[in-house]
Amino acid sequence: MASDPASVSSNGQDIVCQGDWTALQLDRAARDLRYLRPLPGDVEIDLSGVSRIDSTGAWLIYRAAHKWSKLGAKTRYIGLDDKTRELFELIAGQGIEPGDAPHPPAPGFLENLGRDSAEAARNYMAFLGFIGNATFSSLRILLTPARLRWSQVVVESEEAGFDALPIVGMLAFLMGIVIAYQGAVVLQQYGAGIFIADLVGLAMLRELSPLVTAIIVAGRTGSAYTAQIGTMKVTEEVDALRTMGIAPIELLVLPKIFALVIAMPLLTVFADLMGLLGGMIMANNLLDVSFQNFIDRLASEVTIADYLVGIGKAPVFALIIAAVGCYQGFKVSGSAESVGKHTTISVVESIFLVIVVDAIFSIVFSRMGI
Amino acid sequence: MAQPVVRMRDIVTRFGDKVVHDGISLDVERGEVLAVVGGSGSGKSTLMREMIMLLSPTAGKVEVLGHDVAGISELEALPLRRRIGVMFQHGALFGGQTVLENVGVPLREHTELHDDIVDELAQVKLTLAGLEPRTGALWPNQLSGGMRKRAALARALALDPELLFLDEPSSGLDPLSADALDELILQLRELLGLTVVMITHDMDSLWRAADRVVLLGEGRILGTGSMEELARSNDPDVKRFFSGPRARGAQTGGG
Repeated sequence: MASDPASVSSNGQDIVCQGDWTALQLDRAARDLRYLRPLPGDVEIDLSGVSRIDSTGAWLIYRAAHKWSKLGAKTRYIGLDDKTRELFELIAGQGIEPGDAPHPPAPGFLENLGRDSAEAARNYMAFLGFIGNATFSSLRILLTPARLRWSQVVVESEEAGFDALPIVGMLAFLMGIVIAYQGAVVLQQYGAGIFIADLVGLAMLRELSPLVTAIIVAGRTGSAYTAQIGTMKVTEEVDALRTMGIAPIELLVLPKIFALVIAMPLLTVFADLMGLLGGMIMANNLLDVSFQNFIDRLASEVTIADYLVGIGKAPVFALIIAAVGCYQGFKVSGSAESVGKHTTISVVESIFLVIVVDAIFSIVFSRMGI
Repeated sequence: MAQPVVRMRDIVTRFGDKVVHDGISLDVERGEVLAVVGGSGSGKSTLMREMIMLLSPTAGKVEVLGHDVAGISELEALPLRRRIGVMFQHGALFGGQTVLENVGVPLREHTELHDDIVDELAQVKLTLAGLEPRTGALWPNQLSGGMRKRAALARALALDPELLFLDEPSSGLDPLSADALDELILQLRELLGLTVVMITHDMDSLWRAADRVVLLGEGRILGTGSMEELARSNDPDVKRFFSGPRARGAQTGGG
């Protein structure tokens, strides 16, 4: 029962509608209707040639007739059967005025600025509150360690730590190669090839290993924390926990924080090793520094303090990543879109904070002469 | 008689070892309101997912609007999907769009109608579904459960589909709203020639709105017929389902 798409024509005054006036066949008729302007006076809208009509088609004709009657035309439908008449009555009965659609208010620049500032301030207070809450819960749980969900800590640290070994190792290895490469060019000019061990050792152990590890963990694990807690919030699982008298922070947050604080220093040690390995291989290739010489030099020039400075940063970074990740998860509200938004914020914010804190560490350590 | 809108033959559905459907044959006739009932886990929703081309049965033949949908490509399915409206159990409104935009999505996607017209039509559908036009400016997470359902119905009606699928339309609605929804479905069927397939547990809806009821259980169809026929049935399975105190209450109250 294929029929022609909807069409509309006019003899200058009366309107004739023909064809299939259902939603998918209306494009041309809708365009034509916009440009029809009957003169004031009687206008007959002839629907006898309409083969099918649905509420979309009926609305198009109704809104056009509505517009014309505002311009002084007296519109009258002819040639419609009872069902179509009822359809028109149903649609007219909904009381919708053509041309005013309810949209959410669009605030101006100043209002947005004000709202965003207030929101940011509230946000930082809430984050502080969350940290306080988590700290308090941690202290309480440390008094009764049996209450901590240790099995979950183990699972979480496997996921955040052990499973991340390949990617962290790979990246640290490549970082070692890159540094050695960059250093080799300059050192070679001065015939000071052996200093490559100092360069790679200090750069990797003090700075790059913890940083690379933190960035990977933020992207891999912090985001997962946000998405998991966020989805649980959307599906009301967090509320369900609360009603059962289980503090979400104890079940969802503390095991993650403990797991990450344990896993990240270990990952950093692994990154140290892989970074040094990368540097060592490049030193051997480019500068003919043998593995033995490299290691000897490393042992004499890079101190245990340098190593501990790097490892010591890892738990701090872990705290930042876990806290930001979990906090953003709890901020999720309502929809899937919100989960995505807060996951992004979580990753960006935790990497940002990690780098800021790293900079502060550098200043403090240099003042202290470590 | 015109050919059925949906035709299912010997449908078998298995998830791993679990047999959900074990040889179900079912026709949905044009213009009828067909209700699918059955206990939890009886495969009602799965059957619906097979009718709306979200899932392929393990074996058997499904024809929708005269087309065999076995192995149909997305491109071939598109013209069919445009003629089908689906209201999901929890609404499935898009969280990033206002209610009005949600209802307008199918129109914007499949027609070239002007934005003003789409917005107006979306409002018409919202009021048809029993919501205030200004609800359109709200976000889905600002709606109550019942309002979300109505908004989802409005979206399912956006293209005036020939075939409307409703998953638990009245669950979560207060009795008055549920009655109004039944009325609305019947009215739309009358005016637009809708065919409606609904999954429901609501005995009142069954009595009031359904022309024919299909009872699923144990992977097959335990009984089919109008509510009066099923209520009189002597089949033990059918009796057990429709003779609980709730079912009887609905009969005396609604029928």
